[in-house]
Amino acid sequence: MDPGDKWMDRNSGPVVRPYALTGGRTEPADGEVLDLVAVVVAVDPPERAEGAVPVMVTPEHRKILGLCHNPATVADVASDMGLPLGVVRVLLADLLQNERLSVLPQRRAEDQPSATLLKEVLRGLRAL
Amino acid sequence: MDSAPSDGSGPVPLTIFKLLIAGGFGAGKTTLVGAISEVRPLRTEEDLTSAGIGHDDLHGVAAKRTTTVAMDFGRITMGRHLVLYLFGTPGQERFWFMWDELSYGALGAVVLADTRRLDDCFPSVDYFERRRVPFLVAINCFDDAQHYDPEDVRIALDLDPRVPVVLCDARDRNSVKQLLITLVEHVLSGRANAAPSVAPAGSVPAS
Repeated sequence: MDPGDKWMDRNSGPVVRPYALTGGRTEPADGEVLDLVAVVVAVDPPERAEGAVPVMVTPEHRKILGLCHNPATVADVASDMGLPLGVVRVLLADLLQNERLSVLPQRRAEDQPSATLLKEVLRGLRAL
Repeated sequence: MDSAPSDGSGPVPLTIFKLLIAGGFGAGKTTLVGAISEVRPLRTEEDLTSAGIGHDDLHGVAAKRTTTVAMDFGRITMGRHLVLYLFGTPGQERFWFMWDELSYGALGAVVLADTRRLDDCFPSVDYFERRRVPFLVAINCFDDAQHYDPEDVRIALDLDPRVPVVLCDARDRNSVKQLLITLVEHVLSGRANAAPSVAPAGSVPAS
């Protein structure tokens, strides 16, 4: 790093090449960017047709599947993997495409929560 | 997460909300998140030369230098299906590539103000006003900080009269809890004042 690079400060981590684990891919295979709090869960792999091209599963993919045994958010998985979010999103998309993971339905982010739901959140906070 | 019951009835659908904790460096964001939940690190990364998820060429290769940015988040589980995620967001404008994604669908935001460096709040306040993310300003009362009247802070930040300005101690669980309650009440009152929404809300049950 150029010592004169004032762009960096202590909020910035080291300069790295985090996409080595994805074979240099920076975009999810399906082009869909999962929300930070999208919930994913591991599912049984589908039956492979005879002669089908075997799916490449790396140790990172396997570790993610282990973390998603119970439903987990994208943020949780990225934190548990200790890998940058973008890298984890690419790996999650591989597993989604290979039908090893599924995304659980959620309230749509663009929908405003109802007053009833907000009041439920208030009750929950007060009970903490 | 421990939300999947083992009785074979399938997982309870979770309703997850994002809350943003914004503020300048050293304003106490991590302390605040840690006062009410376990703090966990989340690394994100950004190309030094281009900003924004989805802007790269689909087959682009990350040959350029990338920097990682660490932020903190915490999770508060309430009952069986309500979960709040608190994301501490670096306040500087150059991290706005993260803000866009953090604020998408966010329930609301806390702008944590350090009265010694009040102008650190300007970018956050501007951002949430423009994106119409409901927010409040919380003055973190450091021991050695001069004590400010919340109304003075409101004037200094040129805030809408409806935006709550509260005093807090980011180290104190009850203080943080009260802060989050005030924020959700603010979101709720904004909802009541707005035109009735026809958008469907609530969680979609798992099929």
